[in-house]
Amino acid sequence: MKLLNSPIGKQKVIVQVTADEKTKNRLNNIGIIIGGKITPLQSNFGDLIVKVRECRVAINKDVAKHIIVEDGNEEITTDQTV
Amino acid sequence: MKKLRQTKRCDIKVALAGNPNCGKTTLFNALTGATAHVGNWTGVTVEKLEGTYKDRKSDLRIDIVDLPGIYSLSPYSPEEVVSRDYILSQDADVILNIIDATNLQRNLYLTTQLLEIGIPIVVALNMSDCLSANGERIDVELLSKKLGAPVVAISALKQKGLKELMLKIKEQKGVERKAFSCISSGILKESVEGIASLLQDSEHKLFDTVKLVEGDKLMEQKYISLSNKIKEIKDNNQEVASRYKGDFETCVADRRYQYINDNFGDIITYDKEKPALSKSDKADRALTHKFWGIPIFLMIIFAIFHLTFSENLFYLSAVIPDGAFKDVDKFSSLFVDSEYEEDEDGNITGANSIKSPGVFLQGLVEELGELIKGERVVEDTVDDNGESVAEVIEEGGIVTRWLKDAPDWANGVICDGILAGVFGVLSFIPQIMLLFLFLTILEDTGYMARVAFIMDRAFRKIGLSGKSFMPLLMCFGCAVPGIMATRTIENDRERRSTILLAPFFSCGAKSPIWYAFAAVLTGVAGWNSELTVFGMYVIGIVVAMIAALIIKKISGQKGVTPFIMELPAYHTPQFKSVTLHIWQKLKHFVFRAGTVIAASTIIIWYLLNFNFKFQMVGEDNSILAIVGGWFEWLFKPLGFGDWKYIVAAVTGLIAKEEVVSSIEVLSGSVEAFVSTSGISTAGVVSFMAFNLLTVPCMAAVGAASGELGSSKRTALAVLFWILTSYTVSMIIYLVGTYWWTIFIFAAAIAGVITAAHFINKKRFEKKEATNV
Repeated sequence: MKLLNSPIGKQKVIVQVTADEKTKNRLNNIGIIIGGKITPLQSNFGDLIVKVRECRVAINKDVAKHIIVEDGNEEITTDQTV
Repeated sequence: MKKLRQTKRCDIKVALAGNPNCGKTTLFNALTGATAHVGNWTGVTVEKLEGTYKDRKSDLRIDIVDLPGIYSLSPYSPEEVVSRDYILSQDADVILNIIDATNLQRNLYLTTQLLEIGIPIVVALNMSDCLSANGERIDVELLSKKLGAPVVAISALKQKGLKELMLKIKEQKGVERKAFSCISSGILKESVEGIASLLQDSEHKLFDTVKLVEGDKLMEQKYISLSNKIKEIKDNNQEVASRYKGDFETCVADRRYQYINDNFGDIITYDKEKPALSKSDKADRALTHKFWGIPIFLMIIFAIFHLTFSENLFYLSAVIPDGAFKDVDKFSSLFVDSEYEEDEDGNITGANSIKSPGVFLQGLVEELGELIKGERVVEDTVDDNGESVAEVIEEGGIVTRWLKDAPDWANGVICDGILAGVFGVLSFIPQIMLLFLFLTILEDTGYMARVAFIMDRAFRKIGLSGKSFMPLLMCFGCAVPGIMATRTIENDRERRSTILLAPFFSCGAKSPIWYAFAAVLTGVAGWNSELTVFGMYVIGIVVAMIAALIIKKISGQKGVTPFIMELPAYHTPQFKSVTLHIWQKLKHFVFRAGTVIAASTIIIWYLLNFNFKFQMVGEDNSILAIVGGWFEWLFKPLGFGDWKYIVAAVTGLIAKEEVVSSIEVLSGSVEAFVSTSGISTAGVVSFMAFNLLTVPCMAAVGAASGELGSSKRTALAVLFWILTSYTVSMIIYLVGTYWWTIFIFAAAIAGVITAAHFINKKRFEKKEATNV
């Protein structure tokens, strides 16, 4: 599911980021990374404020479209330690 | 004095690195105080702050270089590149990495990268006092042991632990630290070892290796001869291929976070359960609400402008009876409006409003100016033939009295030239500073980041992002700081277009033009003056929107940079950082007034008082009048082909308040100026619009040139402003004179936008075709 359509206030796990390299790098830097937890707190016509770890990040609709999330119950492959 | 200071060199230099919003600026201010000075990193428009820490007792002096706030050392933004180049240059003896204890894991992401460079590191754990208040604790010793670098718990805000931190830095100087990378184990182990074996031993071998694993473009350039071998090694890594689809960059980022999770997950212990939503989140519910967010913001901004520019504070004149303040003394009239009008029946209107703090401060500076230079008072008197004539009465100030016996030219150059120009600028400083104060407070609380977020959607439609909003808003105060604030916009194209739009947002110095001419238009055409002034602001905004759209279409860029911005938790603004910020801006303005503006006023004064034969003549025969006369034909289509108008507009280049003052010099009063020139109402509005949209004052052009970074781009910007103002003024004049021409212009503008759209579409198709 796209983060864009994910319900407000529900924690999700990021499974894929489909944005271009530069955007992906910026998302990584700010803590939005595959396997990480993310909670949308507010939606402003698709522009989102999300909670990532302990910080709040504002992302616009186009970015939210490129973040694919899942429910956080099951462990996903990249989350395992090697 | 200054020389002495320089010769006493500090023996330790430390680079301050950390995430944005981690308290880095607060720490820097706390450590360096007033020694800080602002510069630029060479070649890029990234601010460089340097200062010195001094401890008198132990005679400890440490030079501190503040690196820009960054999240990582990747090659994507100029801030990151500047930071990593500086650290790698080893100009600094020690890296001081400040991390926010309340957001430990994200902050450690940068730390893991800094550890890959073999330079001594001291970690400052900031806001550790906030943790205990939240019922969280961090084991500092354990953190230090795991990082392999000393950690000092500090509070930058309360200035705790700073000396200990500095002593630790002194201790670490020259201590050898082995570079360490958290990705050299696990699935990337073979790739790291493989690439490392290709490189010769160098100072920063590990850092280079890790960056090559990441696929860092800058580093790949440096080792271009090895690119095939590196690719081979990376292709051999089956696990990255299968689990990350060969995306090494994501893999490295993931490994870093994994490492942080595994090793630092237990560093923080919680005494009590954390609430899911913080106070800050609750505030955001209202302040960034999809419907209420913008109205709330508009109210805040209205309040700020009201406190800064209003002559009628809180609209109290509605309850204070007319004429209440008509007999107050001179001192009290700084606080209240004592001017009133009396009609034939003796009814008094006016003199019943209280001035806002901004207007009060401006009045204070003006009084000071009058005290020093004296004032030129213009009064309308009626002569023997019953015609009204403007009479100039000089009132002496300190300088005029002092220059009583001096020759005319000396009097002129000092009083009418330098002092008039300098005080013209100085009198606007209180309001600009007050506006800044409010905006800095909003910025410091964390609210401005939210404003950028709520404005992003609207700005995206005209090819800009929410980050352009703050700089443009500042331009209503003054374009200089507005243009300087565009640094926060990462995308070059967006930053440049924001700079181009900056002058269209009517600055404080332009408002006297609107007020003066609005009063004339009330007399000539019966227009409501408040609406006229408001209309000028609207014209500016509308032109900016259309211009942004045209720039977007011409540049042909698809889409706007994605908006990703951390929203720091709301907090009360810090007195010290706010005042320091204001102080730096103030210094800049006063410096400008004393140098560029003083110099250019002398030139203008000379051109306005002398002819080509170096003889002092009246303004009508001056160099400016003659040269202005040559260009009259050029301004005929704009409705004000009169050399006086041209001269007034040109003097606006020094500072926009000069427009009104030179009109007063030329004709005595704005009313006389308009009536004697015989220019139509449409021509007057066209002249106002021209001043609004044309090349801003030299100070703003200077700032723009600094930010645009090349003289070619600056020249293009100036050309753009001239063209825009010329076109819009012409439209206003022609439509105002022959209303039906509006259809022609509407069609022309639509035509330009569509043409640009299609030309670019073709250009892109061509590009894509050649790419295939």
